[in-house]
Parts: sequence; structure tokens; C-alpha cells
Amino acid sequence: MVQRIGFPFAAVVGQELAKQALLIAAVNPKAGGVLLSGEKGTAKSTLVRALAQLLEKSRLIELPLNATEDMVFGSIDIQKAIQLGVRAATPGLLARADGHLLYIDEINLLRREIVSGILDVSSTGLNVVEREALSCVFPARFILIGSMNPEEGSLSPQLLDRFGMMVTVAGEHDPGVRAEIVRRILAYERDPAAFCLLYQEQSKQLRERISAAQQCLHRVELSEAMLELAAQYCSQACSAGHRGEYYLVEVARSIAALAGRLYVLPDDITDAAKLVLPHRLQQQSPETATADQPEPEAEPPNQAESPDEAENNQEQAPPGLPDQEDPRQAEPECQDEHTQEQNAGDTERTADIGAIPLMGQLNLNTRDRQARQGAGKRSLTRSNTKLGRYVRAEIRPDLVSDLALDATLRAAAAYQRVRPRGRCALTIYRQDWRKKIREKRIGSIFLFVVDASGSMGARERMKAVKGTVMALLQDAYQKRDQVGLIAFRRDHAELLLPVTRSVDLAQKCLKHLPTGGKTPLAEGMLMTLEVLQALKRRDKDVQPVVVLVTDGRANSQSDAVTAALEASRQLGETGVHSLVIDTEQDFIKLGIAGKIARQLGGAYYKLEELSAQKMIQIVNTLR
Amino acid sequence: MTTSIYPFTAIVGQEDMKLALVLNIINPALGGVLIKGEKGTAKSTAVRALADLLPAMEVTAGCRFQCDPHSPANLCAGCRDRRNAGHAVTGKPAKMRVIELPVSATEDRVVGTLDIEHAIKEGEKRFEPGILADANRNILYVDEINLLDDHVVDVLLDAAAMGVNTVEREGVSYSHPAKFVLVGTMNPEEGDIRPQLVDRFGLSVTVKGEHEPQQRVEVIKRRLAYEQDPERFTVQYEAEQQQLAGQITQARQLLPKINLPDDLLLLTAKVAIVLEVDGHRADITVIKTAITLAAFAGRTTVTPEDLRQAARLALPHRMRRRPFEEGVLDWDKIEAVFTEHRA
Repeated sequence: MVQRIGFPFAAVVGQELAKQALLIAAVNPKAGGVLLSGEKGTAKSTLVRALAQLLEKSRLIELPLNATEDMVFGSIDIQKAIQLGVRAATPGLLARADGHLLYIDEINLLRREIVSGILDVSSTGLNVVEREALSCVFPARFILIGSMNPEEGSLSPQLLDRFGMMVTVAGEHDPGVRAEIVRRILAYERDPAAFCLLYQEQSKQLRERISAAQQCLHRVELSEAMLELAAQYCSQACSAGHRGEYYLVEVARSIAALAGRLYVLPDDITDAAKLVLPHRLQQQSPETATADQPEPEAEPPNQAESPDEAENNQEQAPPGLPDQEDPRQAEPECQDEHTQEQNAGDTERTADIGAIPLMGQLNLNTRDRQARQGAGKRSLTRSNTKLGRYVRAEIRPDLVSDLALDATLRAAAAYQRVRPRGRCALTIYRQDWRKKIREKRIGSIFLFVVDASGSMGARERMKAVKGTVMALLQDAYQKRDQVGLIAFRRDHAELLLPVTRSVDLAQKCLKHLPTGGKTPLAEGMLMTLEVLQALKRRDKDVQPVVVLVTDGRANSQSDAVTAALEASRQLGETGVHSLVIDTEQDFIKLGIAGKIARQLGGAYYKLEELSAQKMIQIVNTLR
Repeated sequence: MTTSIYPFTAIVGQEDMKLALVLNIINPALGGVLIKGEKGTAKSTAVRALADLLPAMEVTAGCRFQCDPHSPANLCAGCRDRRNAGHAVTGKPAKMRVIELPVSATEDRVVGTLDIEHAIKEGEKRFEPGILADANRNILYVDEINLLDDHVVDVLLDAAAMGVNTVEREGVSYSHPAKFVLVGTMNPEEGDIRPQLVDRFGLSVTVKGEHEPQQRVEVIKRRLAYEQDPERFTVQYEAEQQQLAGQITQARQLLPKINLPDDLLLLTAKVAIVLEVDGHRADITVIKTAITLAAFAGRTTVTPEDLRQAARLALPHRMRRRPFEEGVLDWDKIEAVFTEHRA
């Protein structure tokens, strides 16, 4: 490790909940560690690294994203095997983290097998090595800390559940506070040593508080009544299993210990619930499972203002539970009112995004699919070239290229004593040869073509459409698909978002998409054709999927419907996979969208028949 | 084939790009620059031309990571061991360099990996440093950064965030300093880059081809003159090059002495709030850029004008485009904050 003077914990402005969670994690290993989730640039990793400086006995072991399996879980010690002829295991990162903090930044980007392996080890405290003719066990009791930016993808509910606590962090909104943050960072960077000196006293107090709490923790008592309160919170939150209660109690005890008390108060339980329950609300009771059906009438002020907000919603406590403080909550509301007011005069409005299905459910769904199809087209694919990330090695005596040297050496190392020695330190036989297995993410291209005409604005239709498309976008981002967005209204179509990997941009685009004016359906189809042709020129192997959302009521010119059908026929001739979502809800149905789907040769669904989840399934079968 | 470099000062126009690059040399803590633009707009030429202007520095003799012998906190493990063992750590003069990361680079080449030869001959594990090792204290240049493989982006982000490259792969476990100025160029027509990677860039500029016929003619004239006789062409710009290099050196010395009026901090925070940027990195970068601009101008105090210019360089890539709206950075909003501030 490179030694440096880190930013002091006490000097981090705000982020009180995150600080509290980290202190608890440090005091009580049974609290199950903490996951910090939030937008970029909100001091997540700064806080974690600062915490490590406060601890006397433990260090921070960081797990980088480039880590390979053998390095994380341990493997044969090559040097010992060769030089001494001893078959010994060398501990991996997890064993090295025994008694310390294990920090995984961007945990959502780490390979899934590694994450679940780590979580297994963390729950048992034992790191079992079974590889390369080795079988041994290392103790690995560490405090797990993870951080992630949810825009980059989520963790599955199973993995989330293993974390004792989760905190959502956000940027500050007060100018004075923001200025203070910058002031401190400048002062720190100018002279780290002098800056730390300013916080020496506060750091010392924190250090003392932690060690005092560590010492008195085992004496903190928990009354029967408090235990019942904890159970009540958990059942209200519909938290699956009993991990919730367990962590809730341990966190509450730690809070009491940090406050220097030897008994738990109801407030401790309440505070603990804010940390322990947010990420357990994901697996909810049956009635919330249908929440992906957009509800036109009920619209609580803070519901699904934006993708971020919607995500927070799942993480927030249900009624009756203490709300996690979220400074972002108040702000978009008034902004939205403003936009609507502004738009009223222009016969234009911006619909909210309808409730988005819980991300957890999406994940369950996708894993299911993977299990059936093996390496899916949209997810990780084995790469036959030398490109892609080296994930593990396989035995290949007939190897031609891409030797996994480390694995080959490990395989050979075990037998060096019994093999004749040549000019090199090692004698390698053909059966030792290992080939690198590489993985590469391959995504598809989704082109959303959305009708933004006035008729779509009526009766919350746009809201439902946005909710559905947004669910697809979430799914797309986690699989690193590319997306593009075309909207048409008034007299023309516009490529709002050229095909990009940034689903984040697509979400923002969609959020602010106004509706109003006529329906230039033909123009929309022609622009789609244009975009597709450009894509094909760049890479002839691409298989884009077009998702058309419209009520079919083309009216921008006298023969608008004919023109639209003709454009659809042209588009259909390219053989593109397509899906038409019909939003027509009027009493007299014209059924044009259905005709368009036939011209396209694509699948056809009515909006009201579709849950977002079903839509994802449909899209997945399209390729 | 010529080995000479097209002089930086001979590049016509593209003032924003040139300024952003120079600011990053003066203050490597700015976090690099992302240059967006269509083909043939001198993006790569400008980055490569920087080499000539880069300041001298001192590196530890025999160190693979160009450690600064005068900065004990940032030494690599090897240098620190030598120092702790009481050996003299001697410095030698070197020049800051531009290290290129090709888009086709594999992850092991970027972060470093097991030294194959050593492992087979000696049966010992040893770390073979990668591109990030060369990049320490230098400029890391990624052409067409938007085409970089996802997992290479991940490791790049990791290193850029920490200033340290931690390797846990293929049997080796190693960590070394990797503080670099990240310079990326991209043609937006060929696809976007991940928001998280964009956020790591301190500044961003968009370059366009010159539209003035006269300017365009000048671009071609100079290019032809350069290709005809690179040496003579370079000599013509020597005075200008030296003047700029001198100005950069002076600004570097002035940088720690710049005075920042407190109200400008508040002003920056207000701008960030109005623009709804994510997190706090925007504020920090705007302020640092303004300080560097003041140093470049030879002033010791930051002015609101510095701040305005800094906002122009540090904020565009942190903005989101809204449908059916033109423009990326809403200048009216920023101006309103400035006006309110003056009142």
C-alpha cells in the first residue's frame, strides 16, 4: 500500500447517516457491514478510507475490480511449490482481510461469481480453498463495506440482503454547505498534514468513542420489549427471512454502545431501522408485486418523479416506518409544478413517469432467463478472441494460444519435486497447459420510437408509456445494451438520443419528453429507417430491436395513415425485429397500430395488457 | 517519416482545447480533459504537441514508476523500502511525458501482470508493470476513449479515482502510485461514453472545424509548410513555444500562492445547485480551474471572470440534454447567478 495522509473522517461535511453506519460497522462486526449507494462525487469512498484511519487494530483491504478468482479466494503457493517442493496454499485477499475491513468500491461492477463468493465467506467467516489439489481453510472474518453508483447497475436482492446496512447518499443542496465542502478539500490538498492537525482533536475523540463502544458492546442489554419492536418493524417492512431482525438488533445495540449506554432505547431501534430496512423492502408482499401496473389516479407527491426518485422509493420505508432523510426529495416536486404551469399555455405537458417495477424483480427475471439459455446474448459471452476480461482458466493440452500462465504454473507447481529438472526453474508438461477463458459483454441495440403527440398526453397514457419504457431501460443498462430514442410530434420526428450506451441519458430524455400536437407517424417510421441504415453501415452484424409506442392515429397530413403504413412496409422489409405497443384507448378504435405491426412483421401488444415485466420477457424473446 | 512534433503554438484556433490542455499541465490536479469533436480537428495533434511544452521534473533513479524523491507520501513500495532501509534515494531530471493507451490494449497490459519470463526461469512471482505504471506523474492519453472496452474503463476509473493502481490478478498482488492527467479524445458520432467516466474528467471541450475561410486556408498552409520542411517550420515557432513554456513554468510556481475570495466559493455552489449537477465534483473542479486560470494570467487573486471561464470548461459534460431543447449548458441560468452575485 502507498502510505499517504488521508482526508479525516471528522472533516467530511454532512452525510451523517453514512458516517453513523460506518461507525457501527467498525464497532460491531455482527452488524453485517454497510453498502453505500449514491450518485458520483458524494464522498462515498472518501468516507470509507477515512474510517480506516480511525481504527487502531484493523486496516482497510481494498478489492480492486481487476481481481481474479485465485487472488480473492487463495490458491497454491507457486514459489514454495517450486523451491521447497511443498504443496502449500497462499491466502487470497479474503484471508488477508481477516480481522480487518474489506472494501469493494463499485461493487455492482464486480463479477457476480466473485461477489456471491465473498458474501458466502463473509457470512461463515471461513474461506475454504478447494483447487489445484489443495484443500484448506483460512479464517476470514472481515467487515464488508461496499459502495456503488446505482446508475451503473444494481445488486440482486439476495446480495443486498447480506449487507447489514445500506445508506443512500446524495449531494448537499445548501450553497453554504457546498462551499464549505470545497473549502475543506482545497485546504486539505494544499497541505494534508496541516489540515489533519486541525481535526486531530475530533479524530481523537472519535477514536476513543469507537474503542469505548467496542469494549462495552457485549454488555449492552436488550429488553424483551425492544426485541418485539424490532420484530414489528421487520414485519411491517415485509422483510424476507430473519436476517432483518438479527441485523436490526445488532445495529441498535451498536448505536447504544456508541452513545455510551448499556441499554437499548426505542429510538435506537428506530435509528437502526433506517439503516437496516431500506434495502430489505425490495422483496415485498404480493400487493406491491403488481405495482408495475401504472396507476393513473393515485399519485403521491414523491412518487416516481425521476428514475432516481423511483429507486429511492423502493428503498424508503413504507408508511409507519421512519423515513430515511433524502434531501433530494423536496426539490424535483416544485420543479415539476413549474414545468407543468409553463407548458399549460403551450398545450404541451410533460407526463410523470409511471411507477416502475421493482428492480429486484427485474433481476430475478433476468437470472431466470440466463439459467435457461446459458450465456445469454445480451449478457456475458465467452469471447473467442484475446479480447475480453480473463476470468478463469481451463485445462487445454491442445492449446494453441492465449496461455493462462498463472494457472499453468500453479498446475505444474504441485509436481515439481517428482519431475526431472531442465534448464528452467520449472518443468511444464502438456497436461499443465491452461487456456484463458475470457468474457465479454455483448449488448443489443434498442431503438425506442415514441409517439409524443397530443393524443398520447391524454388520460395518463404517457405516464404509463414512460414507466414501461423506463423499466426496459433499466434492464438494458445493466446488460450494457445500447439504446436510442426517437420521438415524433407536431410536424416532424426527432432523434432525441442517438444510439448510445448511456441509458442514463435516455432516462433523462424520456423524463422531460413533452407531449402535444399532431401525430406524424410516417415521419417517425422514416427516421427509424434512416437510423437503422446508419447502424447497419457501421456494423453489418448488429441486430437492433425497434420498440414502437403509438396509438396509430396518424394525422399530420391528409393521407397520413397511408403514408405511415407505406413507411412501415419499407421498414419491415429490412427484416428488423420489432414490437408495437398500441396505446389507443378511445371508444371507437381504429386499430391502425395493429395494421402497422403487420406491415412491420413485428409483435403487437396493447398497452393495457402489458406489465413492464412481461414486456421485458417479450423483448428478450425477440432476438 | 519524421520524428519532430508539430508545434503546439502553430495550431490555428481551437483556443478552448489549447487552454484546457495548458491548464492541466499547470495544475495536474484538475483531473484531465475530454476533447470531443469531429474527425480532423487537430485533437490528437494538440495532445501530442503538448510533449514539447511539458515541464521538467525530478524522478527517482532506477524507479519504474517515476516516483518523486521529494514527496515521501507518494513513493512506490520499492522506493519506500529503500528509503526506510537508509539508502539514499537519488533523483534524476526527467521530462513529463505523454503516454498513449491504445484502444485495443488488454486489461493486463493496462494494469500490469505476472512477469512471464521471470516466473518460468526463476520460479518466482514478479510484477510486470503496465501502462498505468508509465503513466504515473505523466499524461495518459486515450484516443477514441468512447471505444474503449468496458472492463478497461472500469480499471481506469479505479486508478483515476485513487491515484493508485492495485493489481490482484494472475498470481500477483501489487500496488503502485498511478497519478496521471487523463486526456481523452472522442468523436461523439461513434458513440457516447459512460457518465461515470465522463465525470472523472475535470474539463471538457468541444472542437469544431474552423468556419472562417481565411482560418481554414491558414490551417492548410501551415500543415503544408510543416510537411515540406518540419525543421524549418518548427524553428519559426520556437520563440512562441519558449514563451508559452515559460508562462507555464511561472504559473506552476504561482499556483500555491493564489488567493481565493470566499464569496466566489458561495457563487460556485449556487451555480452548481441551479444546474442540478450530481455530487460535488463539479464545484471542486470549477474552483480549481479558476485558481489555475488566475495563475496562468499571472494574477494572485481569482476574479469572477476566472470563475465564469472555468464554468465554461468544467461544466458542459456534467449537464444533461433535454428533449426538444437546444444547447447543453444553460448560460442564462449561470449568468443569472452571476448577476445576482454582483447585486
